[in-house]
Amino acid sequence: MSQTFSRYEIDSSRFYDEVFDENNQPRLHYKQLVERFSHLNHAELRARRQTTNVFFLNQGITFTVYGAEEGIERIFPFDLLPRIVPDSEWQQIEKGLEQRITALNLFLQDIYHDQKILKDKVVPTELILSSKNFRREFVGVNPPLGVYIHVTGTDIIRDRDGKYMVLEDNLRSPSGVSYMLQNRQAMKRAFPTMFDHYKVRPIEEYPQELLKVLQEISPVKQREPNVAVLTPGIYNSAYFEHSFLARQMGIELTEGRDLVVNDNKVYTRTTKGLQRVDVIYRRVDDDFLDPLVFRPDSMLGVAGVVNAYRMGNVALANAIGTGVADDKVIYSFVPKIIKYYLDQEPIIENVPTYLASDPTDCKYILENLDKLVVKAANESGGYGMLIGPHATVEEREEFAAKVLANPRNYIAQPTISLSRHPSYINDTDLTGCHIDLRPYILYGKKITIVPGGLTRVALKKGSLVVNSSQGGGSKDTWVLYDN
Amino acid sequence: MLSRVAESMFWMSRYIERAENTARFLDVNFHLLLDLNQITQVDNRRYWEALIMATSDEARYNKLYDRYTADTVTDFLVFNRNNPNSILSCINLARENARSIIESISSEMWEQINDLHHFLLRATPQQVKGDPYNFYKVIKTGSQTFQGITDCTMSRSEAWNFVQAGKYVERADNTSRILDVKYHMLRPRSGERYESVDIIQWMAVLKSCSALEAFRKVHSAKIEPDIILHFLMLDREFPRSLYFSIVALEQALWRISGSSRRNYTNNADRLIGKMEAEMAYTTLGDIHERDLHRFLEDVQFNLARVGDQIHQIYFAYHVPISSDDELEPALPFTGLSGGRAQWSQAQQQQQQ
Repeated sequence: MSQTFSRYEIDSSRFYDEVFDENNQPRLHYKQLVERFSHLNHAELRARRQTTNVFFLNQGITFTVYGAEEGIERIFPFDLLPRIVPDSEWQQIEKGLEQRITALNLFLQDIYHDQKILKDKVVPTELILSSKNFRREFVGVNPPLGVYIHVTGTDIIRDRDGKYMVLEDNLRSPSGVSYMLQNRQAMKRAFPTMFDHYKVRPIEEYPQELLKVLQEISPVKQREPNVAVLTPGIYNSAYFEHSFLARQMGIELTEGRDLVVNDNKVYTRTTKGLQRVDVIYRRVDDDFLDPLVFRPDSMLGVAGVVNAYRMGNVALANAIGTGVADDKVIYSFVPKIIKYYLDQEPIIENVPTYLASDPTDCKYILENLDKLVVKAANESGGYGMLIGPHATVEEREEFAAKVLANPRNYIAQPTISLSRHPSYINDTDLTGCHIDLRPYILYGKKITIVPGGLTRVALKKGSLVVNSSQGGGSKDTWVLYDN
Repeated sequence: MLSRVAESMFWMSRYIERAENTARFLDVNFHLLLDLNQITQVDNRRYWEALIMATSDEARYNKLYDRYTADTVTDFLVFNRNNPNSILSCINLARENARSIIESISSEMWEQINDLHHFLLRATPQQVKGDPYNFYKVIKTGSQTFQGITDCTMSRSEAWNFVQAGKYVERADNTSRILDVKYHMLRPRSGERYESVDIIQWMAVLKSCSALEAFRKVHSAKIEPDIILHFLMLDREFPRSLYFSIVALEQALWRISGSSRRNYTNNADRLIGKMEAEMAYTTLGDIHERDLHRFLEDVQFNLARVGDQIHQIYFAYHVPISSDDELEPALPFTGLSGGRAQWSQAQQQQQQ
C-alpha cells in the first residue's frame, strides 16, 4: 500500500471496514478510489481540503452550536474520502426502506383511525396513549392521499459483518439533506476528474422531487399550488437547510409570523396584502405549530393553522402526529408492524432493542448498563443517551435512576460496532472512523428515494456518536450505477 | 413579497450604510486631529464628544464611559456590542437580516456581507489605533462593494427598491446629523472671522461625506461654510447630499407603490413627497432664516415619520393607521433586531 494508506489500521476482527476486506485488500468498488488517493501527496490533499472548506464557509453552509456565545456557527466538517455504495447493496436498501415506510404509513393511518393493530394487541395500547407525540386531536383526520410521512430520514448502520440495519426512523422533520447535496458539490470541485472513473448516480433532483410531493398533496387542484417552507427562524440549527431547500425549490421561506389564518385559510403577509398558501413544508415541531391547539406560548407557530388543516384548506408535510411512529419504543415494534400490515419479513433488520417498560427487559438493562446504549424515547440529536461501555460508574448510576423513574421513556440496545471508514481526522492521517447513513425517502403519490444520503462520520477517534451537535462530520455518498 | 423579507431588506441596507457613515466620520476625525496636532491634542474632548452627539447616543455613552477620549469613543463606536449603532453591531445586524433573507438576495451579496463580518470579528482595538486609515477603509470599501454588488446582481424588483429606500433614508439622516453637529462646533461667534483651523475643519466636514473632491469640481477652492452647507444640503447631483438622498428615497418608495407626482397612494409617499417639494424650493437663505439647527431637526423628525409609515404600511402586521395625528414620533424599529426574533430564540433552538 502507498503512503496514504500505509499507517491506516484496519482491525477487521472488531469492525467492518467499508473499504478494505479481511485480507487488507480494497473491496472491488473501492479499488480505483484507493488507487487515486494513494497518488495524492499531503500538499495536494491539504489544497483540496482547503478548497472544500472555503466552499462551505463562503456559501454560509453552517450549523449552529447552541450555548456557545460567540462564533456559534460552524462548518459541518467534511471528509474528503467518499463513501461508496454499490448498486446491489443500494437496491436492497431501497427495497427495505420502501417496505418500512409503507408499513409505517399504514400504521399511522390505523393509529389515527380504527386502531386495529391495538385491538389485535400487536402493539400495546398504553404505549401509544402514553407517547408524547401521539396527537389525539388528529384521530379521524384524513391527510391528502392518506400519506402522513412525506419526508423521512432513516438512519442505517452496518454491524460487524457488514449487515445493514436500521438504527432509527426520523419521521418528524429530518435534517441533513442539504448537506447531502452540498457535499456532492464540494466533491465535484475538489476532485472533478474522479467522477469520470466512477459511475455515480446523481442526487441533484432531490429538491424537484420534494417540490413534486408537496404539490401532489395540495388541497387545491384548479391552480398552481402555492407552497411554502416554514422555518423556526435563523437561530435554529438547521436554518441553513430550510433556506437552501426553499431556494432550490423556488418557493417562499416563511416564519410563523409571516403567516396568518383567516376564515380557516392560511395566508402569507406580503407588502401587497394577504396571499393564499396551500401547502406548508413545516420544519417546526407539532408542539409549536399552533398556539391555539398545542403550546400556547409558542412564538414559532401560526394561530389557527391546525383548524385550517382539519378543514382540508392547507396540507402539512409531514402531517401532524407522525412522531408517534418514530418514538424509540415504537421502533422496536416495526418488524411486527411490517408483518401485520404487509405480511412480510423486514428486508432491513432492526437493532435488537430492550424496553425498560417491560419488567424482564428492564431487569436486563439495569444489570447490563456497562454493555448497552440507553436512549430516551423522544430525544434527538444524540441528546439524552448513555453509552454504557464509555460511561463512568456515576453516570451509569445516574442513568439507572432515570430509567427507574420513567421506564416508558427508555430503551436500550447492545453497543453496535458501527462499520468504519478511513477518514482524515487531521490533515494527513487516515483513521478508521465510525459511520452511518441517512437516506431520504419522499412519499407523495409514490415513494421516491434519491440514490444517496448523508453519511455521517464520528470524527473523534473511537467515538460512536455521529451527530453534528456532538462533533460529527460527513462524507459524500456515492451510489453507483449497475457495474 | 413577504413583509418580513421587505423589512429585512430595508434594515440590512440601513445598517450597512450606517456602519459606513460611522467609519467615515471616525476616520475623518482622526485625520483632522492629526492635521491640528500643533494646536490641540488627539484626545481633545470636544472633537470626540461631537461624534457621540452626531449619533444622538450621549445617554448610552455616558452610562458606559466616564470621559471622552480617542480610545473610549472609538471603542463605543466601533466595537461595543452594547451600542446597537457601533460598527460591529451594525455589520452584525446587517448580516443577521441578510441571513434571514438569504434565499432572496444574491449569493454574492451574502458573501460580501459575510466577509465584512468575519473581518470585524478578527479586528482588535490595537489594529484600529495602529492603522486607523486602513481599518476604516476596509469598512467603507466593504459597504460600497456591497452596494455595488447589489446594483449588479439584484433585479430591479420590489426588493431592490426596499434596499434603496433603506440606504437613502439612512444616508439622509446621517448627512443631516454630521452637518448639525459640525455647524454647532464651527459657528463663528459674532464679529469673528474664519481662521485656517476652521477651514481645515470645514474641509473635514466635506471629507466626512466623501464630498471634498466633488465639491472642488463645482466650487473650486472656495471653502466657505455657506457654500459647503448648500452643497451638502441642496446640491442636486452629489449622491450624498440631503436633497439627492431625499429624491432617491422618494423614487424608491414611489416605485414600490406606484405613486407619482401630485398623486400619492399612501402616507409614506405623501410625507416624502412633501419633504422633497419643500427642499426643492428652499434656499440657503430660507434655512438660515429658520435657523439651521431647527431645519435639520425637522429633517430628522420627518425622516423618522417616513420610516414609521414605511413600517406601518409594508412591514407591520396589522391594518395601517393612516391618520397623521396618531403618529408616534420615534422609530424604535430595527428590522430583525426588533426583539421578536430574540424572544423566540430559545424556542427555535428546541426544534429539530
